[in-house]
Amino acid sequence: MSNNLQWDWKIDHKISLFKWDFKEIWQYKDLLLRFVRRDLIANYQQTILGPFWILLQPVLTTITYYIIFGKIAKISTEGIPPLLFYLPGIIIWSYFSDCLNSTMYTFLHNSTLFSKVYFPRLIIPLSNIISHTVRMLVQLALFVVIYVAFIAVDHSAHISASIILMPFILLLTAAFALGAGLIISVITARYRDLDYALQFIIRLFMFATPVIYPASIVPENLKTIFWLNPLTPAIETFRTGFFSTNTLQLQPLLVATAITIILLITGLALFKKLETKLMDII
Amino acid sequence: MSALMIKAEHVSKYYRLGKLGSGRLREDLANWIKRRPAVSNEINEHSKQEIWALRNVNFEVQRGEVLGFIGNNGAGKSTLLKIISRITLPTSGCVYGNGRIASLLEIGTGFHIELTGRENIYLNGNILGMNKKEITSRLDEIIDFSGIERFIDTPVKRYSSGMYMRLAFAVAAHLDPEILIVDEVLAVGDAEFQRKCLGKMKEVSSQQGKTVLFVSHNMQALKNLCHRCITLQQGEIIDEGKPEIVIGNYLKKQQNNFTYQSYEAPESAPGNDYIRIKKAALTADYIDGFDIVDIRTPLHIHFEFWYKDIDPGSLIVGVHLFTFSGECIFDICSEPKKYNNGLYEVDCNIPGNFLNDGNYYISVVFVKNTTQRLFYFEACLSFEVQDYRSDTAWFGKWIGYVRPSFPVIVKAKPE
Repeated sequence: MSNNLQWDWKIDHKISLFKWDFKEIWQYKDLLLRFVRRDLIANYQQTILGPFWILLQPVLTTITYYIIFGKIAKISTEGIPPLLFYLPGIIIWSYFSDCLNSTMYTFLHNSTLFSKVYFPRLIIPLSNIISHTVRMLVQLALFVVIYVAFIAVDHSAHISASIILMPFILLLTAAFALGAGLIISVITARYRDLDYALQFIIRLFMFATPVIYPASIVPENLKTIFWLNPLTPAIETFRTGFFSTNTLQLQPLLVATAITIILLITGLALFKKLETKLMDII
Repeated sequence: MSALMIKAEHVSKYYRLGKLGSGRLREDLANWIKRRPAVSNEINEHSKQEIWALRNVNFEVQRGEVLGFIGNNGAGKSTLLKIISRITLPTSGCVYGNGRIASLLEIGTGFHIELTGRENIYLNGNILGMNKKEITSRLDEIIDFSGIERFIDTPVKRYSSGMYMRLAFAVAAHLDPEILIVDEVLAVGDAEFQRKCLGKMKEVSSQQGKTVLFVSHNMQALKNLCHRCITLQQGEIIDEGKPEIVIGNYLKKQQNNFTYQSYEAPESAPGNDYIRIKKAALTADYIDGFDIVDIRTPLHIHFEFWYKDIDPGSLIVGVHLFTFSGECIFDICSEPKKYNNGLYEVDCNIPGNFLNDGNYYISVVFVKNTTQRLFYFEACLSFEVQDYRSDTAWFGKWIGYVRPSFPVIVKAKPE
């Protein structure tokens, strides 16, 4: 009889790897935005400085890096004022690591919620990424303000055409973090002890990314591997766009895009496959 | 044409405990390496740790029907609701359905303590599947129902647990799905809160004609709210039908009764040189149309014992009634009297409308010359008294150890 009837929905154990229901996520857009709002309000409500933390964090990091890596270690900033040199790296890196860190704990941090109510689980990582994007955009605005201030003082503006790639770079960073984060999220849900190792790896990964040094000082024999990191072309294109120190490296950017797309598809498929099954484990 | 809302076909759910859930990569790798030489052991170990939470469950729910699920803890009720709520997957089988589902497996799901009551109404509402427009249109009603208008813009972490629950339930009560799934959320909170919840449940199911799946251990609530009940036992449906009948069958099976023991020869009977128990029995005088012990049912206690004392003094036989939690309800005894050696019987009646619902046990004491305890036959009989209420809107636990039906009279007094 059930075959003749038209049912709205059906639940069974079969899950298709690639049948992503983006329409459903759109139906839950109110929830998505609600989570973004919750994250932004809850995180800054109890702190004395409130939302100023968003700005204070990159500024303090920049000053620290300037003292340690600029003054003490004397790493080249390619003639760019140190404050402006470090900020792009710090903004992109912290955007990436914030997105990755929140995505990879999707299951572990939301297990109670997931065990009580249904909604498309992808809402959680997506909302995290949106709230980190808001923070990142505020930081980016700070960068632009400082940048304009520097121009006003010493008139050394060198904006190049690749600045139009900025939105793409940010999207690339977010997609890279989401893809990698989704893959890690299903693994850490299963193997919690990997968590510590991953935290360590992420910290080290920053040094493989041109945050505190320019890509140009990387030795020739390491360059191929170095540019495979999608964050390298992201940060370098950022700097090129604002400072015209180097010419735009289009090829690594394309490779980075390809790597990111592969990661993202793998991540989405794994997530889709395991999001409900993992509920029996966590 | 058909008004079917949910149809479950051969739903089974299987959990593996232990091995697969080790959660440690190192252990899993070690197991994987070790697996080959120890195949047979592994299989044996696995089969012990498999649990069928649900086995071939089939049922249908009609539009507007309130379906109750009963069963012991671990019978599979919650697993079933979780599958229908799409939280976990069935191992095999299918559930088909029509219409939007909202699941209330707990109240206040996703509440964030740093946010204000108002923010949490939106957050919780969105999580439970309402959109912003729906919540906004019901916001005043929700705040009004919660009864905490004054604190609605205070962070929830400053709330008392009662306020927290009132707010959470207010949101839940204003959900408007086609199918509502409720799992034991009414078991929390104080009496007034429970009354409010159950009242709302009744309103939702009877007046709004909503389809409701309801799990509860509160038999009174189930009886009053449901149109149909299903009993689950170890993952299987063992009974289905009218609530009174299904609940009655379930309670009968549940009654933790030890109501009869008898011994042929004094040598093998419990006791000592003075006293040997021949028989202990508890019988019930069932109310017409019922075959379970409820608060109205009169009970008879009957004992037979062999008495042997070379120097008989005065003998007292005492009956102690205890609750399972250990409080003594009464200690009554026979007149002190001298008896010759031989077989004796003891009878004692507990009238109906005396005990409150609960679990009880009986001990018997034999005392010589007022102070010398000859034998204490501890916890020799036990029984459970079920609750019974004729039509009342209050389903919460009735307090008190006893529940006699002494009349309480209210009348107008001329001023």
